[in-house]
Amino acid sequence: MTAAAYVEDVLLVDRCLTGEPAATRELFRRHKSRVHACLFRVLGSNRDMDDLLQEAFLQVFQSLRGWRAEASLATWVDRVSVRVAYRYLSQRGRRVQTEVLVDDEAGPAFEAGPGARRQMARDGVKRLYAVLDELSPAARLAFTLHEIDGRTLAETAALVGSTVTATKLRVWRARKKIETAAATDPVLSEFLEPRGADVIPFDDSKEAP
Amino acid sequence: MKLVGRIPVEPLDDERLTNIERRVVAGATDAAAARPVHAPRRYVGFAMAAVAAVVAGVIGWRLGGTTEPAPVVGEALPIKVDTQTERATLDIGDAVIQSDPATVFVVTRPAGGVLVAMTRGKVELEVGKRGDRAPLVVRAGDTDVIVVGTHFTVDYGDGTGDVDVRVTEGVVKVVRHRQEVRVAAGQAWQSGRGVLALADVGGPHGPSAATGAQGATAAAGTIAATDPQRSGSGLEIDMGTAPDVLHNRTAQVPDQRVPGGPRSGSGATSGSGATSGSGATGARNVTEDPKDPMRDIKKLIRSQRVEPALDVGKEDAQAIGEYHKIIREQDGEAESRAFYSIAVLQHLRLGRNADALNTLDGYFRRFAQGKRYTDYLPALWLRVRVLCLQTIDDRCRAAAYRYAHEVSGTPAAAVAERLTLTE
Repeated sequence: MTAAAYVEDVLLVDRCLTGEPAATRELFRRHKSRVHACLFRVLGSNRDMDDLLQEAFLQVFQSLRGWRAEASLATWVDRVSVRVAYRYLSQRGRRVQTEVLVDDEAGPAFEAGPGARRQMARDGVKRLYAVLDELSPAARLAFTLHEIDGRTLAETAALVGSTVTATKLRVWRARKKIETAAATDPVLSEFLEPRGADVIPFDDSKEAP
Repeated sequence: MKLVGRIPVEPLDDERLTNIERRVVAGATDAAAARPVHAPRRYVGFAMAAVAAVVAGVIGWRLGGTTEPAPVVGEALPIKVDTQTERATLDIGDAVIQSDPATVFVVTRPAGGVLVAMTRGKVELEVGKRGDRAPLVVRAGDTDVIVVGTHFTVDYGDGTGDVDVRVTEGVVKVVRHRQEVRVAAGQAWQSGRGVLALADVGGPHGPSAATGAQGATAAAGTIAATDPQRSGSGLEIDMGTAPDVLHNRTAQVPDQRVPGGPRSGSGATSGSGATSGSGATGARNVTEDPKDPMRDIKKLIRSQRVEPALDVGKEDAQAIGEYHKIIREQDGEAESRAFYSIAVLQHLRLGRNADALNTLDGYFRRFAQGKRYTDYLPALWLRVRVLCLQTIDDRCRAAAYRYAHEVSGTPAAAVAERLTLTE
């Protein structure tokens, strides 16, 4: 974080704390995409997304005074978003996917064209999130933030308030679970390991520290 | 399983976003209005600062006769400093700033951090450990020096040319053109040249060896610290790219002085000087407390060799990223090496002892059973070093006992044995 960015963050927060609507709007516009993307990747397509996005930002503004400017404001906003997602997952008893999967028994249309492939990718995503619904909220957060949102284990651990080792273990367990599900689900399997793609196989034998 | 970038985020349409924004802005404004007014706290702070200033003044008057310039304590911020023809010392509570003649800078305190924006000249800072507080930043032109607790100088010459940063204790981050480098004790950084060993830079250090034409006099000086908002006098300060609103910030009360002052904290950062390619004792650049009864044994600890970190040809943060990658992708000796290397960098290069201990704890959990890799004993010694250089307590003694139990006949083992006997 450069000093300029730091000073900008600090001054924007200062203005928000005085209740200045323009500053509130500016903070919302600066961070709405990242918050939405973070919630989407953790929770998947979700009918409550509007409420969750709103909830995340209200939490941000309510606890803004607690931002101590140690990390960038973006990181702090991410932490709040993750907390909102965690609470949602916990309250919903892990069941998040609201859309019904169709054609569950259909095998992968390997010979189909691009349209069918897109449809299959969509199905793959749905099935992936269906498996994620079975995970604990902590494991789901760790997996989605690391494997889907592309954050490092250290970042993920910091966001979920856990150690790197525990996070690594949760990610590893989630991967095992997904792989187990993929073994009996050709659509999910094809989505996870597309044929012909350069995919690094998951090392099953490695013991998680 | 590669999923990054493969799950597209469904966009929210503008209407929904506008609605959310409207509700958020309304809710945030209500929340701000519902909060207790913070002005009284601010006034209490002002009162405390005023009392502190009066007390400091009285003490200074009672101790009169000293030739040292009395530091200014408890000034409301922002503070504009123009040292004109003499050196000056400004104590802002959590840092002491000494400045050369013809040095101009402004100090502001945005949200608990400190921003020292230089127009020209040279400053030497001694910054107490900032703990949980936001960092202190020195801005010289397009260069930012970010510090959490250290002793260093920033020379901005006439305010148009290069910036020269020299670190004598701790570590600072220098940010320029979005590039960030760490400069550790014993190193210097110059715009255009990058990081250099302090010994290679040459030239005198500190404001007493001033760069300006009037720099020869290092006698007692006075400080022209003015609040530009109140006086309206003094030079106009070029704040670079800092937002204009910074000029209009209302004065805030400086933090309370940390007990023991910045000097007591500045030596806390552990020594650096270890390079990833060579062995290091880390004995350089570590401030010793002459009154510490354990000084001798700590000296012995520092003199023991620390097995170097794996050389991946990268700077600290990037190197740690590489080590994490090795841990993820490899097993056995390589994984052990990477784990250990992270702890070495955290301790010797970054001064993050708590993190180093966590890493080492992780190392011993990870490799608790089965084969012992090459770095097992060095990791045991590193744990002794990290713990015992902080405090020689039961934890330190337990670590030393474990090391002495595993190793015998080496100087480090003798030191460990001696540590177990300390009281």
